[in-house]
Amino acid sequence: MSGSSEGFRSDSSDVTARIHAQLTKAGIRLAASLPDDWIAPLIERIAADNQIRHVRVAREAEAIAICSGAFFGGVRAIALMGATGLLTCTGELATLNLRHQIPVFLMVSQRGSIDDHRIYQEVQGRRTIPLLETYDFPYHIIDRAEDIPQIPDAFEACRLQKRPFVLFLTRRLVKGDGASA
Amino acid sequence: MRARDAIDVLARHRGEAVGVCALGMAANEWWAATKSEDSFYMHGAMGFAASFALGLALSLPHVPVWLINADGSLCMNLGCLLTEASQGAKNLKHFVVANGVYQTVGALTMVNDGRTDYVGVARAAGISRARSIESLDELERLLPGIAAEDGPSFTVLRVEPESGFLRTPPMTYEGPEMKYRFGRALERRFSIEVFGPQGY
Repeated sequence: MSGSSEGFRSDSSDVTARIHAQLTKAGIRLAASLPDDWIAPLIERIAADNQIRHVRVAREAEAIAICSGAFFGGVRAIALMGATGLLTCTGELATLNLRHQIPVFLMVSQRGSIDDHRIYQEVQGRRTIPLLETYDFPYHIIDRAEDIPQIPDAFEACRLQKRPFVLFLTRRLVKGDGASA
Repeated sequence: MRARDAIDVLARHRGEAVGVCALGMAANEWWAATKSEDSFYMHGAMGFAASFALGLALSLPHVPVWLINADGSLCMNLGCLLTEASQGAKNLKHFVVANGVYQTVGALTMVNDGRTDYVGVARAAGISRARSIESLDELERLLPGIAAEDGPSFTVLRVEPESGFLRTPPMTYEGPEMKYRFGRALERRFSIEVFGPQGY
């Protein structure tokens, strides 16, 4: 058990480093976050990067509005949260970002997937993507490490589409194949 | 004091400040007083003009950013004060036009009905430069100092409740046009790139 656990930690750390590197490549200079445990290591890695201004928020919609303000300062920004947090800020995404056509890039852990056995994530797993489709918010799913280099393209797609764009990170990507929780 | 008179004083002292206005009466008064395109007028996300202003202030650290918030909006997102305090943005000034009512829906009584000490809340969140201003004379006297001091600061403007939906008309443009007018105004003033070479 300890051997596989070490191996999982190493893979997860590598994935986090590669995501961080692609965010840097995309020109991200501000990150606003409220943690979900799947993306907590990524958030802490970004927080340690003095090239990215990191803002810890009290509610996910703050992250949305902070990134929207940063857009007008000419600063590329990202909002990091879990799927539950995404559900809490759909009103702000609609009335601020859709209303004014302000792009905002969200990186969200895709909680509630079939390999996420937390009962309190179940509804998020079933209803998050249908909700995004109802709002016409584009999304993309990064499921494998070899797809991480798509991140700069996803960011550009967000700017081009001038609306909220959700980039989901799956459990398999951020937790590895062997994890159970 | 009346909201319009308080906003007029703010407008006269704004100097180079960029404005961010919460949705509602105060935004309409700011537009009436300034006609400024280098201000952003929220058309939604009530409660989150404060977060928008913080993101702007952090992105343009040498540009004064004045947030024209309202008590109804503040109460929807009191957590913004914690985030503001934690970031310590020296260029951010947070003004709250407090009339104690939800004016644009007919001056209905607000949550907690006048008992909330917003200055106390802000100080407890970690914003030490916090005060409440009750009269125009006091505002005229204190505002130059508020404009000159380091932020983040928090200033409640106690104004009379007034009735009348859209007593002051809103700005004459909206949505995407507001985005482009505001973004282009900031590009011109600060030589930054908000929109890319293809205009998005």
